[in-house]
Amino acid sequence: MAFVLLPVSLLLAALLLVPEVFGDFMAYQIGLYLIYGIAAQGIGFLWGKTGVLPLGQALFFGLAAYATAITLRGDSGLIIDLTLAVAVLAAIAVFAFVLAALIFRGRNESGPYFSLITLALVMIAEQIAGTATTLTGGFNGMSGYASLGNLDPFGGFYYVIVAATVAVSLLLLVLNRLPVNLIARAVADNEPRLQLLGFPTHVIKGAAFAFSALIAALAGGLFASHQGIVTPTSMGFGLSAEMVILTAVGGRFHVLGPLIGAVVVGWASAELRDSFPYWELLMAVAFILVVLKAPGGIAELLESGYRRVRPARPGKRSEPVTAPATKAVDAAGPLRFDDVRLKIGVVCILNGVSFETPPTGIVSIIGPNGAGKTSTLNTITGNRRTTGGRIALGSRRIDSRPPYRALRSGIGRKMQVPSVFFSMSVSQNLSIAMMANRARLVDLFRPSTFAWRSRSLSALLKNPSVPLQEELVQPVEHLPQGHRQFLEYAMTIAAEPRVLLLDEPCAGLSLEETALMTRLVRAFQAETGGLVIVIEHDMSIVEAISDKVLVMHLGQVLAFDTFDKVRVNPEVQAVYAGGTK
Amino acid sequence: MSSVLLLNLAWQISTLALVALGLAIVFGKLRIMNMAHGEFVMIGAYAPVITSSLGLPGWLQVPVCLLSVGLVAFVLERTIIRHLYGRMFDSLLATWGIAILLRETVELLFGRGYQSVTPPISGTLSLLGTEYPAYRIAVIAGIVLGFGALAWWNARSKVATRIKAMVGNPDLAEAVGINTARLSAGAFIFGCCTAGLAGLILAPTIRIEPMMGLDYLIRSFFALVVGGLGSLEGLGIGAGIIAGTQSVLGALANQTYGYLAVLTLSILFLWLKPDGIRSSTR
Amino acid sequence: MLKTTARLPSSAAMCLAIATTAAQADIRIGVLVPDSGPAGLFGPSARNSAILAANEINANGGINGEPIELVFADVGVPPAEAAQAALRLWRGEGVQAFVGMHDSAVREALVGRFGGQVPYVYTPVYEGNACAPGLYVTGETPSQQLAPVIPYLMEHEGVSRWYLIGHDYNWPRDTNALARGYITEAGGEVVGEEYVPFTVSEFDSSLQRIRESGADAVLITLVGGGSVGFNVSFAGFGLDDQAIRLGTLIEENTLAGIGAENANRLFSSSGYFGSIETEAATAFAASYDAAFGADAPALNDLGESTYEGLMLLAALANRAGSLSVEAMDAAAEGTTWSTPRGDNTLVGRHMAQTIYLADGTGGVFNVVAAFPNVASDEACAN
Repeated sequence: MAFVLLPVSLLLAALLLVPEVFGDFMAYQIGLYLIYGIAAQGIGFLWGKTGVLPLGQALFFGLAAYATAITLRGDSGLIIDLTLAVAVLAAIAVFAFVLAALIFRGRNESGPYFSLITLALVMIAEQIAGTATTLTGGFNGMSGYASLGNLDPFGGFYYVIVAATVAVSLLLLVLNRLPVNLIARAVADNEPRLQLLGFPTHVIKGAAFAFSALIAALAGGLFASHQGIVTPTSMGFGLSAEMVILTAVGGRFHVLGPLIGAVVVGWASAELRDSFPYWELLMAVAFILVVLKAPGGIAELLESGYRRVRPARPGKRSEPVTAPATKAVDAAGPLRFDDVRLKIGVVCILNGVSFETPPTGIVSIIGPNGAGKTSTLNTITGNRRTTGGRIALGSRRIDSRPPYRALRSGIGRKMQVPSVFFSMSVSQNLSIAMMANRARLVDLFRPSTFAWRSRSLSALLKNPSVPLQEELVQPVEHLPQGHRQFLEYAMTIAAEPRVLLLDEPCAGLSLEETALMTRLVRAFQAETGGLVIVIEHDMSIVEAISDKVLVMHLGQVLAFDTFDKVRVNPEVQAVYAGGTK
Repeated sequence: MSSVLLLNLAWQISTLALVALGLAIVFGKLRIMNMAHGEFVMIGAYAPVITSSLGLPGWLQVPVCLLSVGLVAFVLERTIIRHLYGRMFDSLLATWGIAILLRETVELLFGRGYQSVTPPISGTLSLLGTEYPAYRIAVIAGIVLGFGALAWWNARSKVATRIKAMVGNPDLAEAVGINTARLSAGAFIFGCCTAGLAGLILAPTIRIEPMMGLDYLIRSFFALVVGGLGSLEGLGIGAGIIAGTQSVLGALANQTYGYLAVLTLSILFLWLKPDGIRSSTR
Repeated sequence: MLKTTARLPSSAAMCLAIATTAAQADIRIGVLVPDSGPAGLFGPSARNSAILAANEINANGGINGEPIELVFADVGVPPAEAAQAALRLWRGEGVQAFVGMHDSAVREALVGRFGGQVPYVYTPVYEGNACAPGLYVTGETPSQQLAPVIPYLMEHEGVSRWYLIGHDYNWPRDTNALARGYITEAGGEVVGEEYVPFTVSEFDSSLQRIRESGADAVLITLVGGGSVGFNVSFAGFGLDDQAIRLGTLIEENTLAGIGAENANRLFSSSGYFGSIETEAATAFAASYDAAFGADAPALNDLGESTYEGLMLLAALANRAGSLSVEAMDAAAEGTTWSTPRGDNTLVGRHMAQTIYLADGTGGVFNVVAAFPNVASDEACAN
């Protein structure tokens, strides 16, 4: 808890000292910077963790500001004002959630398109606010109302702002220590992997966006009360860009970074504006330098300075807790392809693939490059939408479902190139995997969820030949390829899928590691009695593990039989005579 | 009525395509979200101001424009932009800073006041049964010819393919002998120069002041995402939709509705068809 | 370089130190001008005019015998930041009165924050009807700029069919609402009215509509860059043959941007032009040139308005014998003073002044008519 209480109490003490030391006016000034800083904290949360950059955050800030101004103008008493404020905040959060979830549905990127949509939205809002004079007062704005609870903007209201600042910071710091933080960061790190672990990332991004919008709206409400006027600039593109700059300069990866950015930039520009004619040039250069040289902003610089004095100690790892059972999956039965087709652009990748696996056992898929092996797996997990035919697992049709539904259908997948959460430690990677198919919403807000380890995963980790050390604190991007292969394998089986899809699990492994991997796969199949589908090039591995072999060529099934029968199949020999091993 | 509307449409679409061309290269090809794009248009528009204040003859406007814009682009590429390839959001932030930097510098040099530029061709021409400014007709014709030439060159030259290869896989491109540093610098400078040229061409028909760039930035971005990144055809279609909507709605209803419709249309495209109408990238 | 002359080094510590000692110092007056943002163009001339006014006030014995000192702040920023800048001067640097040249949104924010506790003179052209304790206005309102000018133009230029175009916000809409009345009263008709968002810089469809409407006069309430872009295209399309133009915010900088070849039959109505040839105005222009050199930013209505504001403040405070809002409010009505604009009277907290109509043909404003002592219809009940 010290991690949370120390910065928050320091912050609180510093903010409470401002009016005592610098006087009421300075407190009024700092109050405005804090309001912007709160909104920027919301941007920092969204952008720093999920990688989604909002360019129109003033939309929510301004909506709440106008709503507050209208409410306060009604002069209906504090209780009604506060009730309305809660309703407005809730409505804004719901709106933001629906907007983002709808836009993000069906794509797994956070690229510039969403940012440009938020930009266009705020431009529309600014235009309407400036034109709808009867509702908003137009360009001249809406003013002439008392502040919330009739508090003096130069006195009592400062403490309301301080309370909000501290509350938001506390909330964000606490969230940082909870499993939900890992999930949010995982979105930016490796969204496709998170989807294959069963997390609907568009909902996560929607929730993160709604949360940041809520914080922006809270700040907007405070702004209206603090300033006594709301104009279209409070809902404009300029303010939105300003908030992003504050976040970037202060540091988007730290809770207090955006606050620091808001106070430093706000104070510096107020000081310099009237005393240094080139202040805008100076600010622009400083900003470019931050982007180029210190992407973590002021907060990161402060932290690295602090770390030089006091190096980070590795935290105590909590004792593993037995994870709850996975959610029941009704996925019995064979996997059946009926004339499945996949066309991307004008290229036909799969041309009518049909086969039916046994309900259990290990099936290998072989075939020359371009045969459609990985694409076949892609259609099973929904990473590619089929353009014809049907895929069924048991009696249930599974094609054309989004990837995040695959695990709920009992399907787990390891990718061709190890796909893990590269910026996180081994332990964090495993914690996310353990939440897959197990965690309920509340579990994401319980610290004990970090320590979940299933019996089979613990057994795997105890195996001295498996190169996975939970003690390592550095991000797994520094691990060798082979270690990442085992990590991804461990993450995939952690969710205990009924159908395990492995895409070249032995690529890049040494001979010993290859032997270990094949042993593990066989043991997993024997233990769970499930179905394993492996893409493999090495015929000795194929021979050693396969119950049946599916040979593909040019997007079609060439043969599907036991290894011995496939080996003597003349068609298969003809394809492989080309020289591929 | 309809003939003027047609000419206005041709003017709006062709000038937007011209202004957005540089961004199509810098954003579409190099993946630099260049928020300073409008400022290069602005610098180009100042070229006639430079020549007339130095007392140079009018035909030097083009070389002065290309030289000044090219020099600024070169310096910025070497010092800032080259660190930003592959960092799209960082490129957005840094170029936002660059935009302020360029505005302030131009203000220091030329002041904040409005500049006025005389068109090389004045008066109106009778075309399609209506009077239309002669300079605009010349510009429309020039842009159509220029884009034709560009499409011809684009189809034959390997440069576009090389840039695509470089952005798709810089290491591989380097391995097959593409000098990626020089190629991307060249593409960036070329993109900025076309923006500057657009500014020079538009100068006699618009207001000229240090803040003018923002007008051109946002519309260029929306034209690109609506049309689809990475092809000249997409750029033309995007410019057509954005400028066409503004122009037609502006004529039939009013400019505010036209503006709101452009934004709404952009949102719908970004949401439902994020790769645009034409896209060569996926 | 002039930017720094009237400024104090400021830091948090300095503010506090000054605030405590302000009582013994000169009377400090806050002058709020835009240095940044779209209106930043007018910052330098507004500063210079204010400095001239302060020099003249001090030469004539200051305010109630005490010399005054100017403190500038940049208010070319959104209202929240502008209000901070003003409060900084008021609460931090002991400023006792304000003169402001900025947009209406900033004025509304300031009126709210000042709460009638400090005298505040608002100087630019605006839509009128701003009334609050301690608020005095020198800027022209639409009725002043239009009531005498529209009938004059209709008579002397023989025009009757008006097209109204403006940016989409309060000032143009209020102006045009009044203009309709003056036009019909004088026997003309309004053949079109439209508003353009600030973000739109293409006016093709508007120009087409003007052509089709058969208008022979266009009232322009576009501001700044939009006005330049519109007028350049207007002449480019040859519409200057079809219609005269009248602007209520076309000053010297805007005219320079429009360019001489595009300014044919472009009229502007305003309380001040750099080219007014009255004795007071030429003297003012001469001292402006002497103080700031020939390269100084051109004199214009908005820039010169800070001079008006400071002179009003001095006249009013001297008449009231104090800088307290109560005393000044009580003494306000009927205050008279003379400036480059002519002889002015405060009526309903607004300045009754001479209105000039100038023709910009050839790229320079030539005053063609002057209407003395025009009072505002959008003034306060007092």
